[in-house]
Amino acid sequence: MSDIKYLETHEWYLINEEVITVGISDFAQNELGDIVYVTLPEVGQTFEKGAPVVEVEATKTVAEAYAPMDCTITEVNSQLETEPETINNDPCGDGWMFKAKVNAVDDSGMSYQEYETFVS
Amino acid sequence: MDKRTTQLHSYHESKNAKFIDFGDWSMPFSYEGTLKEHDVVRNSSGFFDVSHMGRLEIDYSELDKISSLICSDLINIPMNKALYSIFTNENGNALDDVIFWKFEDKIILIPNASNAFKIKSHLVDHKVDFIDKSLETVLIAVQGPKTIELINDRFEIPEKFSTAKSDNFMYARTGYTGEDGIEIMASNAEAESLISFLIEKGIKPCGLGSRDTLRLEASLPLYGFELTEDITPVEASLSWTITNEHNFLGSDRIKSQLQDGNHKILKKFTIESRKIARTETIGMSGDIKGVVTSGNFSPILNKSIGFILFENKPPQNLIEFDIRGNLIEGNIVNKRFLS
Repeated sequence: MSDIKYLETHEWYLINEEVITVGISDFAQNELGDIVYVTLPEVGQTFEKGAPVVEVEATKTVAEAYAPMDCTITEVNSQLETEPETINNDPCGDGWMFKAKVNAVDDSGMSYQEYETFVS
Repeated sequence: MDKRTTQLHSYHESKNAKFIDFGDWSMPFSYEGTLKEHDVVRNSSGFFDVSHMGRLEIDYSELDKISSLICSDLINIPMNKALYSIFTNENGNALDDVIFWKFEDKIILIPNASNAFKIKSHLVDHKVDFIDKSLETVLIAVQGPKTIELINDRFEIPEKFSTAKSDNFMYARTGYTGEDGIEIMASNAEAESLISFLIEKGIKPCGLGSRDTLRLEASLPLYGFELTEDITPVEASLSWTITNEHNFLGSDRIKSQLQDGNHKILKKFTIESRKIARTETIGMSGDIKGVVTSGNFSPILNKSIGFILFENKPPQNLIEFDIRGNLIEGNIVNKRFLS
């Protein structure tokens, strides 16, 4: 298993063999404020890198989380349907959004240190 | 250009507030989260620094002139009362919605932050004298069901929508959250001790984020969204404010709208989900088009709520919203969101 990596669009992903787990960063949840609703994809849906996968409604604004690489959804975090605030409380843990089978590996995300520099 | 900050800016910074640009101002958006602060005001008590709003002191000699610029009867409401009203232009459209505090010796006019300059120019144009107290005072709104019992050892509490004065403060039992509370004007020198007093009482600082979700849930309009220079009080469903029986700026148009009923109209809506119909979302009631002016999640109702401006009287309560390409149904509600 590799380390968590981050995108400029504020998603994090973790590659484990052929499957990625994706969520949004602590910086992103903090910027959004209280998250009240999440529109999750369906299992089996296929996305190209950069395509919007999840819609995140916060009291302040609405944002999208994008696919870090070409992938097909294998699991969604259904806890977020009833407890979207989990993303605020634990964005990189229990607040994960979806898992997906990678169709074309692109592990070009930033390391934690690089991302910290990027957002500061 | 650097944004303006209030006298209490360093306090907000010390509390790690997140700031938001609001017109010319950098104001606290939240301290511990909008929903937490919303909850505090609905169940206990919170305070908001609203010093970005204007504070103009006006002598009673100006009363008739002021009265000719607003749609409400400021002349006949009793002394020591507060009044919500709307400055209208020659077309009857809203220049600003404001609060007046009537004291025995003077009137305090509180315009919105974004409109303070415009209202001051408007008063000058109509030869209304005023003293601008905004720079030498702060304005703190203390709101929530426990507010009165928490502060009544220091403040003599007036009746609802009434004003009062002490050595250091002018205040009124008014607010913008739908909860009981008072709004206090204090000199800059008194600001920090006032905040310390509120904190000591366990009253929590709240930001503009919760102020917005609270006012929306309380069915209260926000200038720049529900009210603009393109809408009359009648169209904004604020006909109850039209109590000025004399002629005032734009009163002909307002009176004809009250009679013929043929005009655009602002309505409230709910959506039975947490999907938010945000500002500028299109909603159709039959073949009448509407545009959302404000929309957000209501923590109390646990669903989406908002205001929508229809081009004319909507033929049905069902609204079909186009939320980023998805068709979502909502309903017009004629009662207040909160009972």
